[in-house]
Amino acid sequence: MIDSVQINHNITFYYIPMQKLKTTTFGLYIHRPLCEAEVTMNAVLPYVLKRGCGLCRDAAEVARYLEELYGAKLHVGVTKKGDNQTIVFDAETISDCYAPAGEQLSKGVMELLLSILLDPVLKDGAFDGEYVAQEKANAADRIESLMNDKRAYARMRCIEEMCKGRPYELSALGRTEDMDGIDAKSLYEHYKKVIPSSVIDIFVCGDADMQLIEQTIREKIRGISFTDANLTKTQILTRDGDIKKVTERMEVTQGKLAVGFRTNVKPADKEFWALVVANSVFGAGTHSKLFNNVREKLSLAYYASSQIERFNGLLVVNAGIEFSNFQKAYDEILAQFEAVKKGEVTDMEYESSIKTIINSLNSYDDDQRYMRNFYLDQSIAQTGCDLEEYKARIKAVTKQDCIDVFQKVELDTVYFLAGEGDAQ
Amino acid sequence: MMKLAKKENQQTRETLYFGTHPSGLKIYLMPRKGYSQNYAIFGTRYGSVDSEFVVPGDKTATAVPDGIAHFLEHKMFDQPDGSNVFDAFSKYGGNANAFTSFNMTAYLFSATEYLHDNLRVLMDYVQKPHFTNESVQKEQGIIGQEIRMYDDNAGWKVFFNFLGCLYQNNPVKKEIAGTIESISKIDAELLYKCYNTFYNLSNMLLFVTGDFDVEETLQVIEGSIIKNDPFEGRIERIYPEEPEAVAKRYHEQKLSVSMPLFMCGFKDNDIGYGGEKLLKKTIETEILIEMLFGKSSELYNTLYNEGLINANFNAEYNPQIDYGFTSFDGESKDPKAVFDRMLEKVHTLREKGLSRMDFERIKKVIWGRYIRSYNDIEEYAHAFLSMQFADIDYFSYDAVYKTVTFEDVERRFRAHFDPEYAALSVVNPV
Repeated sequence: MIDSVQINHNITFYYIPMQKLKTTTFGLYIHRPLCEAEVTMNAVLPYVLKRGCGLCRDAAEVARYLEELYGAKLHVGVTKKGDNQTIVFDAETISDCYAPAGEQLSKGVMELLLSILLDPVLKDGAFDGEYVAQEKANAADRIESLMNDKRAYARMRCIEEMCKGRPYELSALGRTEDMDGIDAKSLYEHYKKVIPSSVIDIFVCGDADMQLIEQTIREKIRGISFTDANLTKTQILTRDGDIKKVTERMEVTQGKLAVGFRTNVKPADKEFWALVVANSVFGAGTHSKLFNNVREKLSLAYYASSQIERFNGLLVVNAGIEFSNFQKAYDEILAQFEAVKKGEVTDMEYESSIKTIINSLNSYDDDQRYMRNFYLDQSIAQTGCDLEEYKARIKAVTKQDCIDVFQKVELDTVYFLAGEGDAQ
Repeated sequence: MMKLAKKENQQTRETLYFGTHPSGLKIYLMPRKGYSQNYAIFGTRYGSVDSEFVVPGDKTATAVPDGIAHFLEHKMFDQPDGSNVFDAFSKYGGNANAFTSFNMTAYLFSATEYLHDNLRVLMDYVQKPHFTNESVQKEQGIIGQEIRMYDDNAGWKVFFNFLGCLYQNNPVKKEIAGTIESISKIDAELLYKCYNTFYNLSNMLLFVTGDFDVEETLQVIEGSIIKNDPFEGRIERIYPEEPEAVAKRYHEQKLSVSMPLFMCGFKDNDIGYGGEKLLKKTIETEILIEMLFGKSSELYNTLYNEGLINANFNAEYNPQIDYGFTSFDGESKDPKAVFDRMLEKVHTLREKGLSRMDFERIKKVIWGRYIRSYNDIEEYAHAFLSMQFADIDYFSYDAVYKTVTFEDVERRFRAHFDPEYAALSVVNPV
């Protein structure tokens, strides 16, 4: 169940009651168009805001404030969903009914969140220059550290190659080369533009007084003049030209293979649910073709799996392999892809896929972050689906639908992270 | 049918049912009303550190290759008819997995439907090993890739190098999966030897949680237990003698990372016990970690403002009966400076003493953490199981929590946060 209130044209407040858990979580999302002009400023901004606000003068005070609320959590970050870049504020507290002295913990967290968002610490009419300098350095480190997790890195690089010249090529973390152009004044000017001109979604999930929170939000935004904003519509990417082959070298002991496909399916198309099931047959889970053939039958990899990037119409296969097994693993992945296309899908594979997906959707009921992320994705993809409807659409997918939808899927890019001086 | 005892907790508003089956299996059932997911975990008190042991009734010790507990876990998934047990779970929508840690091996699944069918599959395959030398050979390839995957994982390497600094002999310093060399010595016979020792039900525990009927689920469990003679004596585990001193202060490795990663911390020499005493020590240590190095601490904020650490800074205490350590990990341009500043801070506080106000505030944080740990039934189950194998009753945590005083924490600070028993591990960029 989900309740929502339109606070104004830009701001929506969603409340998802979930009393069986012992916490209440908060997600505040600011959506910006993913573009070169502001991607890096958006990536730095929440970290600067978190450094201090009207309610808590500096980071140590923010930390003490949260500790007094029985160790409430506050995290900020930035992500991308299709061609939208989303600034995220995430908070969590134990629900009021578990507060030993009857404290109003949820209200305390909401007040801090709104103070951080709307009432930043200023110095001479701009952000504090020291905070900005420090957070720029941290943001640059985060970009650089994307190479540390080789599995995720290979996947990200494959997607980058597939999206050359399109917004989705950009990392949500921004670009190091933009850092020099950002200072306390320009970032503050950007901030002043962002708040009144962005779509903002506020989710509260758990056990809270919805009216009280709505009232708090209305109170805190009084006086801001908003201009109407809308989400960026994401174009799905279609293939042009030959299959792209990219090999990159690094000092690694295991090669990482990422194979990118274009699905030609949009997230609100009626075939989308068939694609989810077909992807599961192909490579998402221990019942899948990739797991059972690349790993179990040929012992080529410890992991070999596929995931959909729903907003942009991409499907990426990932595997960690010996360098010398590149061709063998690639051939097997393509052979399994062709097998799905040719309709070689067993009842067992098909049924296990449906059950696995339904199982994982059911489990959203027990997780406040999964739940709110599900609704956020539906709102961005504009499927108009609630969780029950989504499950019904999955259950309605037939084996033939899976085979049919895979006819649209095309190989696009083969990315391989190889070792230095390796022959491949 | 066996009868289970029942325990209720006013603070958490939860109920636990538990008992020991005649086979020796310890059973814990924790219903969680309203949850969609059910979760079951079937674990044995047997991990990567148990490479030398005396089987009850035997006179001599058995030594096995490193990595065998983890290897055995992988091989449990094979079925006598050549099929894979994942297929059996998939039929019921169960999401199955298994893991091996230093001190335990566990088989588990989550399922939103068909709890009882999935439970039967879980209990059946874990009680029916099927090892052949051919299948062992095949697995050496898969695990070989798993080991290689970890070779490139800087977070993993910085951790094991840290343990290599702290420990001279304790097997906790060895990688859980072993090495490509050590696993090449594993064969079917050795797997059966380990299985018959550590998978005796008297060395195992089953924990089920979710929205279910206790009586019905217990009946399914009882019906799934294969006849077993519990061991009369204990399995004797042989660990080498570990001196108090660290093996070395510093270790460095180069890998392709963007900036240096570090892990540093303190070796715990107050060990050799489990139960409430171990739980109390754990709570004291967790309070200290937050007081000294948490986000509100002076040290954290100074290091952050100077750009010596970033938001990726974590700390934890790892409590076990036979070893223990506190670790801090993060990224830094200058890990040695971070380490020096931590030790300096510890020195100063040993002279100045701790702040009672900080203690009172942080004690609240630890309570919130405990309450929060009930949210995710999977995480709760893991915590419950691993504590149980250290003879700790996690369900009654609050009883011990209440007894922790400022004086306890000061005492623990002096005993554990001693620069003499500290070490630093760094992974530098190539």
